[in-house]
Amino acid sequence: MILLGELSLWVALLMATWSATVSFAGGRMSRSDLVASGERSMYASVAFVALSSIGLWTALITSDFSLRFVASYTSANLPTVYKFSAFWGGQAGSMLFWCLILSLYSALTLVANRRRNRELMPYVTGTLATILVFFLGTTAFSANPYARLDWIPPDGTGLNPQLQNPGMAFHPPNLYLGYVATSVPFAFAIAALVTRRLDAEWLAAVRRWSLVSWLFLTIGITMGMWWAYVELGWGGYWAWDPVENASLLPWLTGTAFLHSIMIQEKRGMLRKWNVTLVVATFLLSILGTFITRSGVIESVHSFAQSPVGSYFAAFLVTAIAVTGFLVATRLRDLEARAELESMVSREAAFLYNNVVLVGIAFSVLWGTLFPIISEAVRGSKITVGPPFFNTVNIPLGLLLLALTGVGPLIAWRRASVANLKRQFAVPVAGGLFLGTALFALGMRDGYALVSYTLAGFVFTTIGQEFVKGVNARRRMHDEPVPVAFVRLIARNRRRYGGYIVHFGVVVLFAAFAGLAFKKEYDLSLTPGASFSAVDPYNRTWTFTSQGVSRYEELNRQVTAVVLEAKRAGMAPTLIKSEKRQHVDSRGQPTFEPSTEVGILESLRQDVYLVLHGVSGDDRETAEIRITFNPLVWWVWYGGIIMALGGLIVMWPQATRGGARRRAEGGYVVVMQPSERRPAEAPEPPVEAGV
Amino acid sequence: MATRRQFVVALGGTVAAVAARAAHAQQGAEAPGATMEGDGYVPVRRLPRPAAAKRLTPLERDAVERNLACPCPCTLDVFTCRTSMPCGFSPRLHADVVQLADGGYSADEIMAAFEQAYGEKILMAPHKQGFNWVGWIAPFAAVGGGAFAAGALIRRWGRRAAERRATSPVPIQASDDELARLEAAIRSDDP
Repeated sequence: MILLGELSLWVALLMATWSATVSFAGGRMSRSDLVASGERSMYASVAFVALSSIGLWTALITSDFSLRFVASYTSANLPTVYKFSAFWGGQAGSMLFWCLILSLYSALTLVANRRRNRELMPYVTGTLATILVFFLGTTAFSANPYARLDWIPPDGTGLNPQLQNPGMAFHPPNLYLGYVATSVPFAFAIAALVTRRLDAEWLAAVRRWSLVSWLFLTIGITMGMWWAYVELGWGGYWAWDPVENASLLPWLTGTAFLHSIMIQEKRGMLRKWNVTLVVATFLLSILGTFITRSGVIESVHSFAQSPVGSYFAAFLVTAIAVTGFLVATRLRDLEARAELESMVSREAAFLYNNVVLVGIAFSVLWGTLFPIISEAVRGSKITVGPPFFNTVNIPLGLLLLALTGVGPLIAWRRASVANLKRQFAVPVAGGLFLGTALFALGMRDGYALVSYTLAGFVFTTIGQEFVKGVNARRRMHDEPVPVAFVRLIARNRRRYGGYIVHFGVVVLFAAFAGLAFKKEYDLSLTPGASFSAVDPYNRTWTFTSQGVSRYEELNRQVTAVVLEAKRAGMAPTLIKSEKRQHVDSRGQPTFEPSTEVGILESLRQDVYLVLHGVSGDDRETAEIRITFNPLVWWVWYGGIIMALGGLIVMWPQATRGGARRRAEGGYVVVMQPSERRPAEAPEPPVEAGV
Repeated sequence: MATRRQFVVALGGTVAAVAARAAHAQQGAEAPGATMEGDGYVPVRRLPRPAAAKRLTPLERDAVERNLACPCPCTLDVFTCRTSMPCGFSPRLHADVVQLADGGYSADEIMAAFEQAYGEKILMAPHKQGFNWVGWIAPFAAVGGGAFAAGALIRRWGRRAAERRATSPVPIQASDDELARLEAAIRSDDP
């Protein structure tokens, strides 16, 4: 199976190369036989990449330590689930995993477009195959998971203990699913640019794929935050690490695209900007991968420095050059069909939303790269850490939150003063009421107050939109409220799914603002000793050490401390934190000791316990840190709500009679297919929301 | 006006100067008198001030550690790293901070001592001075510039739309695409 897997990798590379070559040639020469051959060879690539992946999984599960990759990332006593997830735990396996997802996405794209977008498909197939050739080539030549060792070790090194967490079984695949999905819109953009078919056709094809990418990135980033919080033991979930930043970049530009695409769909505007965003989102996902794998920037996530970095750099430069050339030579084809009429319109609000989203993406990229720029210019190294990112991004984030509430309240094209007064009165009152109430209750942190005021404003905006929609349905159809609510969403998924995403954003910002009230205590506790601490809600807790215990588990030696936590009005609860020394099957230590945090969870706050060591002559004194983290659970809820909203937006909506009638922002656009001329196919009407 | 040759010479000179400065700075990156241990740890020790009373509270001392970057690849500050990461640096840096705080040094003096030993890289964020201003200002400048450009664009488009409305004798209830198709149809009928 392993030999078959290795062979399949090389055959897949050949197939993808053939697919890229004949697809472009078929498109250029209008030869349907070549185009069909390109598509068939793409399907063959999928089969061979799948075989190669099965081969590697077989080697991992059966602990075939003759493979360098298996020996480097697993051990005989590693639980099977982590042997399975070790596939993406190291450089070579994760590259093959990337190839697997890309080939599957490519096949899905071909299947979905069997009868659609036929003029674009040769170039779509060619572009996807070219990207696949790059990844397969880099895997085969530079990070081959089938590379053999000169000798077979009795056991492997094992998987990094911090990766032995359920979060790591899901977080990287979701991120990869998100990153790789940006390839499909990119391929359609290239095809549209090459064929100069830059009307609504390619946009309709890429919108759903952009949503797929956005959804998986949202889930992946949220799961990454959760993993960092429960596994790394530093009491937070976002450290502005370069690799975390790299995952945020395509998410930000992808979110900007999902908003600006609505303006193109509705008004035929921002065509250059949308192509730029699609291309930028793909390139940023490649840049993120380059940052992770090149070692050019220090990060806790980084893979060891390897030649893969130079491959990615070359690919990035080539992709920028090719797309830059294509966009530059098609500028006239990308001219807008309409123009914005007023500063006070929904289009303008979306445009400003794009400016802020792309501005945040720029600031994150800038902060990530500034140490390199500074070193090149000044010759001295600097660190750009959370103080920089928070200083820069908190105001921009709050501006974005404000725009999240403003957008849905303004009419398309031009809003009148009366319209603004009517729409803004309740949301502004809602925001001000919440801010004032929190100030009266004693909240004095400036950013937190602004954040909650804006959260109140956006929440009321969303509520107002739902209330109006439900009332309209009740009047028109005489439906009870729950039925009207469900049907309102079901009949207008893009609009109301988008509002649910916005609600998730509000929840996230409210949770982020809670960090301003975090409290930490460092202490040493002997068995039976107690410590009193005051939480952010001014409640006194008493923690009593139950002693330090030591025991062995499957692949680790554990030192644990258990504390009894008590406060008025709550039954005493035990919290345990562990220090783990992982060992191989011969009992030899592997890796540095890792931390397993103890968390007492609630909706209001987490009590977060970290054992960072034991001291004293008898090694019975626990050195611990207790952190009160307010509202952390709302970060995960916010992510879940956003993902749910994204799913609703993505969910296919049945259309009746071929004509799509959608009332929007005060006017209706109805297009009958018979009215359309192929060369001048109008942009289809769309709805608000994402 | 400068000739092309003068421009090339000036550009070359600037690049050479930047490169020379970079090389010089890299050579001098290590602070004078600092003794770096094998793994890159530099002890930061000072004699205690005579009859020094402790000036820093534990919270103030923690605040100092939050502004010091751990030299390990964790990208965290010393305070956060030392309890969570399997790190060989942060506990030693913590010990140095404690020793300096107990020796009567202020937060600013402790930060300065670490910066002298490790360079500016030890700070979690660069000083707001010199070239670093570019780093601090660029994101706001980009967003401000983008917003200004978007505003200017919208104003220009708005003026054009107003002109179009002024020349249109009757209000038209049609979308821009419908109007574009109408215009194309009229053109195609022209002889």
